[in-house]
Amino acid sequence: MTTPGLASARYRFDGWDEAQEFYHSRGLTDGLPIVPPTETKVQAMLDAVELAPSDVIASEGVRQKEFTAEKVAINAVMAGCLPEYMPIIVAAVEAISERTFNLHANTTTTGGTSLLAVVSGRIVQELKINSGTGLLGHGFRANASIGRALALVKINVYGSVPHEMDKSTFTHGGKYTYCFAENDEISPWEPLRVDRGFPTDSSTVTMFAAGAPVQVSTAELQQPEEFLLPVADSMIGLGPRHREMLVVLSPEIMGYVKMAGWTKRQISEFLFERAKRTGIEWNEWLRFTTSLTGNDLDASHPAVRSADGITVLCAGGAAGPMTAVINTFSGSESQTRRIKVRE
Amino acid sequence: MAPDTNRLITLDPRDAAVDGGMLLAPRTANLDGAVIGLLSNNNPNSEELMRMIVDMLKEKYAIAGAVEANKGTNRWPAPTEIIEDLADRCDVTIHATAD
Repeated sequence: MTTPGLASARYRFDGWDEAQEFYHSRGLTDGLPIVPPTETKVQAMLDAVELAPSDVIASEGVRQKEFTAEKVAINAVMAGCLPEYMPIIVAAVEAISERTFNLHANTTTTGGTSLLAVVSGRIVQELKINSGTGLLGHGFRANASIGRALALVKINVYGSVPHEMDKSTFTHGGKYTYCFAENDEISPWEPLRVDRGFPTDSSTVTMFAAGAPVQVSTAELQQPEEFLLPVADSMIGLGPRHREMLVVLSPEIMGYVKMAGWTKRQISEFLFERAKRTGIEWNEWLRFTTSLTGNDLDASHPAVRSADGITVLCAGGAAGPMTAVINTFSGSESQTRRIKVRE
Repeated sequence: MAPDTNRLITLDPRDAAVDGGMLLAPRTANLDGAVIGLLSNNNPNSEELMRMIVDMLKEKYAIAGAVEANKGTNRWPAPTEIIEDLADRCDVTIHATAD
């Protein structure tokens, strides 16, 4: 049976193994087996967001690409998503298509950044998106398959294929999947979605062109002025002039922050001020394409250009005085979109 | 006869316009008399490399001249004003990309 409206080419196989080998041989996977995208499964994805196959979720200007609902749904099926994940994927595709996200550059750069989705809001509980122990690792279907769906969209729809358009020198595991949720239940602050201008009762996804997480352990340091110093040092190690970095505080660290009464803004400003080096020091590290001269030599230059570029939020396992620093591609601005969920 | 339950019909995940879908300007058949635009991405040596390319082209064609521009970064697309200026002044443009 052919489902009306689905315009993609059909392939016929005698079984699962044959389908897997076909998708691998055509370079249509990330190197792992996929869920064969049958018409029934793809239609279920589309039904979950009430979109027609030909509906255009978003257009991207540099490569003149249109992300149709059908193609996004096919890749979501291949990634192993449940239909109820589809609203997040649609919002994420809208976000990465925004001009200032600069999708072409950050999915082709030698810098090897990948698409990171940070989910905030009540949908986190509803879909069991991991915001706790091991949230950047394996074991959780929503995290694993939502991030993977976006990675497959990047390969198959956008055409940033490894060894072809994608010229990452090293890259990192986030190219397979990179998705986690904010834990806003133990934080005294406004959640990320509110910081980004959305209502408290909404759900959002924020997309970053992100490098690998750097985990900073600060055992026995309980004052923010103490445990944030190694975090600032880690930011310096990632190099100067970043437009944005993401700083993820574990619940244990959040406990210390709450006891000290620090605001989110205090943390980002502290890190901005401490994550600086003089022009002489940066030059010694050969971290500028063009060496600084004159007055720039003695001036301080930050790892992140402004405190506004440091996004601070809480997530991670209950145990462990850990902070994760995640750098981003300098030519990209993170983007937040509201997740439209059927009531 | 029992239905073949192993039979799978699946869909292609690729953008239908993945090959040749972009809007490319008409190709120039001959560079004799052409003004060549050189758009640097500000990476080291990109301007030198493109000048070398023009020198090589001059060995084969009667190049009328070259116009150099620099978009100032390898991370962002060129500003519209630079693209429009090159389009006005040049017959073809070479754009440095990557490292």
